[in-house]
Order: sequence, then C-alpha cells, then structure tokens
Amino acid sequence: MPMTTATTAKANTSAKFMRSHPAWMHWVRHPYFLRGTLVALILYALFLLPAPGAPAALADKLNLGVFTVLVLAWSALILADGDRPDWLQSIVAFGLVGVMGWLFYRYSGAHWDKLAAAFFDWGRLSGSWWLLLDGLKVTLLIGLISTFLSVLIGAAVGILRTLGSPTLNLFLTAYIDIFRSIPMAVLMVVIFFALPYMGISFGSIATTVVALSIGYGAYASESFRAGFEAIHYGQIEAARALGLSRWQCMRMIMLPQAIPVVIPSLTGILVSMLKDTAVASLVASPELLKRARELYTSKASPTPLVASALIYLVVIIPLTRLANLLEHRMKKVR
Amino acid sequence: MSDQTSPEIMIEVVDLHKRFKDLHVLKGISTTVKRSEVVAVMGPSGSGKSTFLRCLNRLEEPNSGHIYIEGVDILSPYIDINKLRTEMGMVFQSFNLFPHMTCIQNVMLAPMHVRKISRDEAYERGIKLLEKVGLAHKADAYPEQLSGGQQQRVAIARALAMQPQIMFFDEPTSALDPEMIGEVLDVMSTLAREGMTMVVVSHEMGFIRKAADRVLFLADGLLVEEGSPEEIFNNPQHARTKDFLSKIL
Repeated sequence: MPMTTATTAKANTSAKFMRSHPAWMHWVRHPYFLRGTLVALILYALFLLPAPGAPAALADKLNLGVFTVLVLAWSALILADGDRPDWLQSIVAFGLVGVMGWLFYRYSGAHWDKLAAAFFDWGRLSGSWWLLLDGLKVTLLIGLISTFLSVLIGAAVGILRTLGSPTLNLFLTAYIDIFRSIPMAVLMVVIFFALPYMGISFGSIATTVVALSIGYGAYASESFRAGFEAIHYGQIEAARALGLSRWQCMRMIMLPQAIPVVIPSLTGILVSMLKDTAVASLVASPELLKRARELYTSKASPTPLVASALIYLVVIIPLTRLANLLEHRMKKVR
Repeated sequence: MSDQTSPEIMIEVVDLHKRFKDLHVLKGISTTVKRSEVVAVMGPSGSGKSTFLRCLNRLEEPNSGHIYIEGVDILSPYIDINKLRTEMGMVFQSFNLFPHMTCIQNVMLAPMHVRKISRDEAYERGIKLLEKVGLAHKADAYPEQLSGGQQQRVAIARALAMQPQIMFFDEPTSALDPEMIGEVLDVMSTLAREGMTMVVVSHEMGFIRKAADRVLFLADGLLVEEGSPEEIFNNPQHARTKDFLSKIL
C-alpha cells in the first residue's frame, strides 16, 4: 500500500507517544463493548437505583457508590482515549456533568424549593438594587485608582531595580517581599485601625486604595522585573554604544520591549486586585460586598449576597477574557 | 577633516588592565591607532580581544591604564561618556538591532535623540546610509524579516548614522552563515577605503589582508605581536602567533 509522507510522519509521532496497549485494552476499546456497557448503565439508572432522597440504608449508599464509580469508569474509557474524536469526548463530558448533577439533585436530600426561595428571592430585593449598584460604583472607583497607582509603583520599582545598585535593591526587595507576604485583609486592618495610633489616619476608601496600591504595586513590580529581564543585554549595550543616556535607553529601548511581556501578567494581577476590593468591607468602605451585607442583615435574606456574587461575575469575567485576549495578542506581536 | 595631517594619532592606549573578579583578562596593553588606519585584532578565544575593544568605548570599565581618544583621556571621571560614544560607532557580533523598530527607525533613533537633528534630516541621512549598505528597499522592514547579513549591514548603517570618527567591529561576521559574510565584509572594505578609522576584531584573513593596515595579535591578555598583515601572516615571529595561524589557515 502506498504511504504518503504525511501519514508516515503522523504514524511516527503517534508511535513515539503511544504506550503499548495490554491485551485487555483491545476489547475494552471495542465499539460493541462500549455500546453494550452504555445500555447496561442506562438500564441500571432506570431500574436499580434507590428511591429519591438522602440514602439511609447502607445498601442504598453502596448502590449509589457502585453506580457512580461505573459511570466514571465508562466516561474515562472515552475521555482518556486520545484517539476518540473531539465531538464524542465533549458529548461524554457534558453527559457526565449532567448525570452527576442529576444524582446530586436526586440524592442530596436538600429541599430545593426552600433553598430557591431563600437564595433567589428577587422580590425582596426590589427597590434595593440601587444600593448594590452604588456599591459597585465604589468598587470600580477603588479598582481604577488602585490600578493606576499600583502600575505606577510597579513600574517605578521595576525601573529602579534595573539600576542594579545593591543597597537600593535591598530596600526594594524588602518592600516587595514584605507586601507580598502580608494578606490584604491584614494590611487594610493595620492601616485602618493601627496607624491612627501613630498619627496617620486615612478614611475607609483611602485606606483601601493605599493598601491595594502598595500591596499590588509589589506584585506589579515583579512583572516589570520579569519584563526587563527578558530583554537581551546586547540591546542595552547597543543603545549605550550609540550614546543614548540611561533614561533614553529605558524609555526608547527597554520599556517598549518590556511592555508586551509585562501586560499579560499585569492584567492578571489587576483582575485579582479588583476581586480583593471586597476585602475593603472589613474597614467599612461602602463597596459592593459591604452593601450586600447590609442588605443581608436588613432584609434577613441571603439573596443580596447571591446578587453581589452575580454582579462580581458579570464585571470580572469580561475582564479575565480581556486579559487572555491581550496575552494572545502580545504573543503574536512578539 | 582633510586639512589635518594624516598620520595623526587617533587612539592611544597605555598599559590597559582589566580584571573580572579573579580573572586577569588584559594584562597591560599599549598601542596606538592613527587616523584612517584599519587595525585588525586577532587572537585565540579568551585572549581578551573583545574585552580590549569594549574597553575602548567603556562598555567595559578598565581597572587601570589610560585610553586617549584624540588626546582626551576617556577614563577621566569628568568626561561625558554618552557624548564621547557618539564619536565611536560599534558593531556587535549579534547585531543587536532594536526588534521593535523598523530598519530606518533603528538608523534614525540616535541621530534624532542624541544628536538632536530634525526627523527629516535624520530620515534623509538614514536612507542614504541604507542605500550605501544596499538595503534602502528594506527601510520599512523589521529586523526579524531580514537575513543575518542584512541585519548586520543595517547595524553598520545605524552606527554610521552618528557620523563617528572611529568604528569598532566586534567579530561582525562570526554569527553569520558563510554565504552572507561577503556582503558584510564588502561594506567594511568600502568604509576602510573611504578613510574611516577602524578597529576590527575578526579572523577573516582575506578581509584583513586586503583592508587592514596593521594586525594586533593578542594572547592571554598580552599584545604578543603586531605588524602589517603580510608580516604577521607570512613571517610570524612569536610561537603563539605561529601556533594560532597554523590552526586557522
């Protein structure tokens, strides 16, 4: 049989990565076996599973355990098999999620109707949405200012570290290590409740901005350092040999080459900073989580908390997508 | 500067020492380079030839000794090294073009921001220089789109754009594929003919024979032997020189 070069290349690479299959694998991978066991599993689900509700008897618990293991094992035969087509694997993956959800719904013993009433009692929230949106505004304001300040701090510290002065580096490394190690909640509480004893007091929003800027400035400076370290030393030598000053070299040669490296990790850091604005409710900043907790108390319902979670999702998912997009773009540019 | 006498001394190096921690790389080098002279520096690897060249524009700081460029002591703490480097072009083994700029931007950068000439003037000068190295049609290409030989020619144009008095070449052809070496050496030969003062670290015998006025042979951080290319290649005096030449010929 004539073999094209493409097929031989493919055969070679797959042979390289393929383990030799033991004999039982050949009949386990056979379509008849897979179809037969799938039908058996469906029959099991229809006729052999215990009645709905939390299983009390040991036999019922074992029954559910065996069924779960069998479902997982069957899915693994498809999902772990690299030769299966993508569409089949997706169907099995979604099917698996569906079956597990169905099992949980049926046997967790939760009172779903009561839960839904408590968590998604939107009627109770009517007229109070503006309070949550007010909180969102404060969250975004804090996020925006802190983003600006932490990028500024990060760039400044990163640039200072390129000077390579041992004494300066000692102080800068100390700053970075200290503020990367202190949890954001602790940092905010210390600034808000402890510093006033030293005569330095900030309002709650200012505390949040200062804590986030200093803390995330430390992270940002590490991204900038990575960006500068990615630059080949010959670039700096060439720039200096042309007579460019250190600052000109930084501005025209190093920063433009570092920024594409810095931006993906920086956007990641800024997204986690936006999430950390929620910590500000500890120091009574009137941001989204604080507002949700107030409503939780006044309405005696967890619905506002669920609502705030949804608002965070709606705001932050597009940002994480944007971060990924930027990362993709920057990889292409370079 | 044709009104000046031609055998004027351009570079004078006196007892130059350079140590990297415990490694004594240059152990007292003294030599002079005259205006319009082309000096080739040869030597086995680790002999300190690159370090010697890099000391001349202070990319490496020598530990002791003196370097005078046109009579100015460039190791003095009172001189402005950025200003001084504008008089000395440098071409690197690995080209070191700025990858985020097009060729013409690479060439225009230093004249505009160091010499402070206008954008139009810098552009005109840049295009002329790219023409000179035969790459005017690549002005708007980015370095990664060029072959190694083309990149090195752009790097030469970039150095020339500052209208330097001296050009330093640090193994300009050793990172190139064999078929691209010729185009770079041609540009260098043209420069030599036009009377540029050049110090070239290279082992390209053909180029040195044709273009160099003098060869310095360095070994173990010492200037072992110097003379015209004919003297060095045909009648080497020192055992180290003989040994080295027998290996590369």
